[in-house]
Amino acid sequence: MQDLLELAVGATASGCIYGLIALAYLLMIRPTGIINFAVGEWAMIGAFGGYVLLTKYEWPYPAGMAVVVAFLCVVGWLTERIAVRPLIERGAPLLAPILALLGMLVVFRETISVSFPPDPMPVPFAFEIQDQKYFIIAVTLAVFAGAWFFFERTLWGKSFEAVALNRRAAALMGINLTRVTAFSFAAGAGVAGLGGLLVAPNVSAQYLMGVPLAIQGFTALVIGGVGRVEGALLGGFLLAFAEQLTIRYAPIPGGYAQGVPLLFLIVFLLVRPSGLLKAKA
Amino acid sequence: MRWLAAFVALSGAAFLMGDYHNDVYRKMLLWITLALSYNFLFGICGQVAFSHFAFYGIGAYSVVILLFQLHVPLPVAIVLGVAVCILVALAVAIPATRLEGFYLALATLALAQLFVVVLNEGGAVTGGTGGIANYRLPAVFGLQVKGAWYTGVIVALLLGTYALLRRLDHSWFGRACRAVRDNPEAAAAMGVDVARTKVVAFALTSALAGMAGMVYAFVDNTVNPPIFGLENAFLLLFMVIVGGAGRHAGAVIGAALLFLLPFFLSPLVGHHHVLVFGVLVVAAILLKPKGLIGFYDAIRRS
Amino acid sequence: MRFWGAVAVLLFAGSCLAQETIKIGLITDRVGISKPYSEPATEGAIFGAEEINRKGGILGKKIELLIEDDQSRPDISAALARKLVDQGAVFIISLSLSPATQQQQTVTMEAKTPQMTPMNSADYLTTQLDNPYFWQTGPLGSIQIATLLAHARAKNFKRVALITDNSDLGQAIAKAFKGTLEKAGIQIVADEVVSRGATTAMPQMQKIRAANPEAMFLAGVLTAENVLIFRAYKELGVKFPIHSSYNLSVPIYETVAKGLVNGVTFVDAYDPDKPEVKAFVAAYKKGTGKDSQNLHGYGYDGVMLIADAIRRAGSTDKEKIRAAMQQTNYAGVMGAKGMKYSFADGKRAGFDPNGMVVRVYEKDRQGRVVHVGTK
Repeated sequence: MQDLLELAVGATASGCIYGLIALAYLLMIRPTGIINFAVGEWAMIGAFGGYVLLTKYEWPYPAGMAVVVAFLCVVGWLTERIAVRPLIERGAPLLAPILALLGMLVVFRETISVSFPPDPMPVPFAFEIQDQKYFIIAVTLAVFAGAWFFFERTLWGKSFEAVALNRRAAALMGINLTRVTAFSFAAGAGVAGLGGLLVAPNVSAQYLMGVPLAIQGFTALVIGGVGRVEGALLGGFLLAFAEQLTIRYAPIPGGYAQGVPLLFLIVFLLVRPSGLLKAKA
Repeated sequence: MRWLAAFVALSGAAFLMGDYHNDVYRKMLLWITLALSYNFLFGICGQVAFSHFAFYGIGAYSVVILLFQLHVPLPVAIVLGVAVCILVALAVAIPATRLEGFYLALATLALAQLFVVVLNEGGAVTGGTGGIANYRLPAVFGLQVKGAWYTGVIVALLLGTYALLRRLDHSWFGRACRAVRDNPEAAAAMGVDVARTKVVAFALTSALAGMAGMVYAFVDNTVNPPIFGLENAFLLLFMVIVGGAGRHAGAVIGAALLFLLPFFLSPLVGHHHVLVFGVLVVAAILLKPKGLIGFYDAIRRS
Repeated sequence: MRFWGAVAVLLFAGSCLAQETIKIGLITDRVGISKPYSEPATEGAIFGAEEINRKGGILGKKIELLIEDDQSRPDISAALARKLVDQGAVFIISLSLSPATQQQQTVTMEAKTPQMTPMNSADYLTTQLDNPYFWQTGPLGSIQIATLLAHARAKNFKRVALITDNSDLGQAIAKAFKGTLEKAGIQIVADEVVSRGATTAMPQMQKIRAANPEAMFLAGVLTAENVLIFRAYKELGVKFPIHSSYNLSVPIYETVAKGLVNGVTFVDAYDPDKPEVKAFVAAYKKGTGKDSQNLHGYGYDGVMLIADAIRRAGSTDKEKIRAAMQQTNYAGVMGAKGMKYSFADGKRAGFDPNGMVVRVYEKDRQGRVVHVGTK
């Protein structure tokens, strides 16, 4: 029984990380429909930012965290400016920005790869090793609460929703589409970078950590449904619990246990493709 | 007649090159073949799937297992291999085509990963993580087909795939696929059986990928899990979009360019060649969002 | 007319002056998952080649290292092997992943070109293909477990846990570990796998804790995932001893797993007290100004072994080199004190089965040697 409780806390923390990445996707998909697989690389940059500021230069944790997130927001804004806006302005098909962002994924990864030694780099915990999980959960809940509040209660958030529902109508109502898009990328990058920074003390900062995170986040997003912010978090929890409970309790050899969440996902998609939480009517 | 000339020209080129260039050349031809079938699925039918490379692997492993684990004679192995490709493709296509957009993408992504897990855990059957290596293409009528001669086989595969896809593209089936891609409700209203069209498109292109895999198995005479990993699925997507989705020539340009680029960049740029590759891909899309085929069209027009 | 005569004479003289070099091909990974190991090994190899050239080269000619990057992509790897053969390489060093090395073998076997890997430790490389032109001098997985077991024999384990990752090398080493443990009559009560990209190893460690083993054998080779295992071990408060594969010999654990690895024993092919090692470390520091780690030694030894074979062959004829390589009896940087690389009885794996040492992490540093060989 004690195992289960310990596992539940651990899975919740992992689920929070997946949820943050899923939220990053969501922030960009809702207003623009663009799937940005480079969120994993943004998380990686967050992790390396943590290494540089917190390990190498030993800044105090809150200052380091704030600067890393702010830096990522700038990176997100720049990414939108360079790789997305020119395409949207030219009326390119939706596929084009998705591919440009995939190209940026390679650029981000390689830039980090040539700038740092290839081994994994240590990133410090916010508190003690056992408390990191609670820290992750607390921060994630705060971020999601903020995101929910933003979408539900603020005017800015409502304009996001309007753009998500109908771009043309939103533009006609005077909503500045460019600003919304730029903001969504900046916010998405900040959230993704935060996720990377939070998970890095455990998994270490390394140049290949981006793609697995991007895939896990995408999975969480689809499970939870793109319609609602809470869905991202729910999807993250479900994915993490499915993965970890299977490894711990399923009576199958270790190697096969990796396949179970994948199988589960495929079956889930066939049965309930729109995700668990329906969008608001 | 033109087909014969093309076959002779493309195969003949192999004899004029050294071993290394021949190897790069025929791997490029295989990637072009894959890109052509993927382009049909993705560009013409609008289905975002990451499973294409997994089918390539299914074809390769099937023929090797049939020939060297089950000791089936070559002609039977070829027929059975093709049958396996088609059957597995159908089995996946029927449930898969019920999914839309990024749900299909995710499901096929999971499938591709599952495939690698199965290969790794396959023990004696798949050779596990080390794969299977100790084999050679059996002699056909006492002749060993290898080296530049085998390139002829690859060219035949490429031309056959291209001919088939072009034929389908210009037929009512191609029109039905485009209709389903652009507006499924309108297509259904016009009498197109949407579900069946999608299943046939998916199964057909996946089976073609599988057959390409069967040919690949004898190029390096090795099959192992890393060859069929996820990175290549993304590269295939890059190729088709950079070249120009929906156009056969686009697939050819994209595949040839993106496959050959690392070989040129590496000696030129050295250490950072993958970074330059990424930058070039981004630049290509920013320049020509509809694909580099735009240049080709511009040249044709003028 | 006289002008062209002069040009011809100059060109002729120029070509006589231009020295012929001995071309050695090197296939490494600069961007993929093998980079943390390939990069230092390649640097060691480059240093070795430069050192030989400074001393006059081999057979009066300088070594030219032709370096190619296969990005951990096996299909590119085979093509690059062909390129090196076409360019006249008389030997190819493989410093990338084991599957890539395997793929290159199909080419070197056909092209009858000598190939060796000084670093790959997968057992299947010399067993899966019968390639008389291929040698492996890396410390095999089977040697690693035999050495670990010899050290642990006094403890008389009966029930142990095994944990690894899902990389191909991690699986290959786990397979070697499993075989040897079972043959020694030891029961494996838990057999777990941590996937690449996992965020925690807690469920695996919980399962292992529930099986109550006397010790845990770690066969994983992915550093980040191994760190996850150590974290979970600490968080769960378990106390059984950990015996690890040679991946723990990579110095980065001293920083990235600080506080987590004290007391962990691991096999290594590197004895810092060995005179050859001390000489190498000093020479490397003097020559490049940088510190070296054990991984550099693999690349260095690889180049030295090849140079030694070519010298004994007395020519750059590939068949003569092949014969000479098979007769190798050479003491390098890697390996226990007094160990020599050799390929007895036509075998092609050259790392002495008694050539590894067991070391232990103490005070967050890689500590002393506690055991040598498999006795």
